Amino acid sequence: MSRNLKRLAGLSAAAIAIAWSGTAAAQEGGGGSDTDTKNFAVVGNVPAMCVGGTLAGTGATFDMGVLIDVNTGLLRNDLAAPPKILSGSFCSARSTITVAATPMAAQTFTATPPAGFSRTVNYTATAAGWTETPASYVTGAGSNPAAVQTRGTAFSGDITVSVGSFSTGGGATQRLVADTNYQGNVTVTLAVAS
Amino acid sequence: MKRLALTLLATMALPGIAHAQATDTASADVGVAGSVAKLCMLGTPTPAPVDLGQMANTSGTRVGKIAAISDRTVTLPGSFCNFAGSAITVTATALVADDASPVEPGFAKAVNYTAAVTNWAPGPAAVTTNATAAGGSPTNSATGPTQPAPKVADLDVTLSNFTAPSDNLLTAGAYSGLVVVKLGPVASGGD
Repeated sequence: MSRNLKRLAGLSAAAIAIAWSGTAAAQEGGGGSDTDTKNFAVVGNVPAMCVGGTLAGTGATFDMGVLIDVNTGLLRNDLAAPPKILSGSFCSARSTITVAATPMAAQTFTATPPAGFSRTVNYTATAAGWTETPASYVTGAGSNPAAVQTRGTAFSGDITVSVGSFSTGGGATQRLVADTNYQGNVTVTLAVAS
Repeated sequence: MKRLALTLLATMALPGIAHAQATDTASADVGVAGSVAKLCMLGTPTPAPVDLGQMANTSGTRVGKIAAISDRTVTLPGSFCNFAGSAITVTATALVADDASPVEPGFAKAVNYTAAVTNWAPGPAAVTTNATAAGGSPTNSATGPTQPAPKVADLDVTLSNFTAPSDNLLTAGAYSGLVVVKLGPVASGGD
């Protein structure tokens, strides 16, 4: 009997101890105070995008004028044209700039020219200002490893497109067939890099 | 055993008789006291988080710049303080691109906005963030007018006036900001 009472007393003490610790926990974890704070996040996103800008100045054509030295019939060695400026170009993320070009070719004389003649003029097209190394493309070349350049950051700025280093298709000794319209095309592409 | 029991009863009865003889009625006042602690509680912000979605124009004359973003409202329902003299403090952090790389010229990697908490005091608690293009100093804080009485209300937090620093082009990426609403006594309402 006495042993049972002692055990009961022991249990009661344990129960009280548990009750006290429960109360303390409730006061620390769930109690209010005179100040409350709540917060919430605000999120959004901006997609990676590129805009090529617009050509400023005198239109979209490099006008090279007369291509040959009329005394020799060979390609002039002083062909030049002012560069074109693509203004308002930007990419909001890492990007690549790619330049591609087609040779200037006679548009009316489309048949295969006779021996000693050519109907194409090759050149180098360059897009500078976007990357440290300008993107350049040589028409008629077997490969153009410099045609694609990568920029690691977002960028906004002008792209200067220029043409130069003209050469006659088939070799410098070839003469160009007469045509009122030799025409080529330069394409500059900005793209988000993966 | 029986004799012992009788003796005990007699002993216990005697004090009782003596007491009844002093007076036939007794009364006493017993105070009942308690206290109510000062308490402020804010409801759970709903809806949260606020997702502004895509924030830049992808075409038109403002391509790449911040688009017109409609106002957003978050409610903290059933917010209350049980005492007079409370105020709201709102702390807003601009949306900043999570990307840690430096910002390029002409670009911004932050979106500022105004956060206004209404329906507590006579005027709103409003703050406008003023982050730099690079995302620096994105956090601002302001305390609204005092509420002179205990009050329970649904608080509205309105987010508006979304702008990019210098209206620059926005750098691509995920952006995140934070709004913190604090309700408490005026003395500790600001921080």
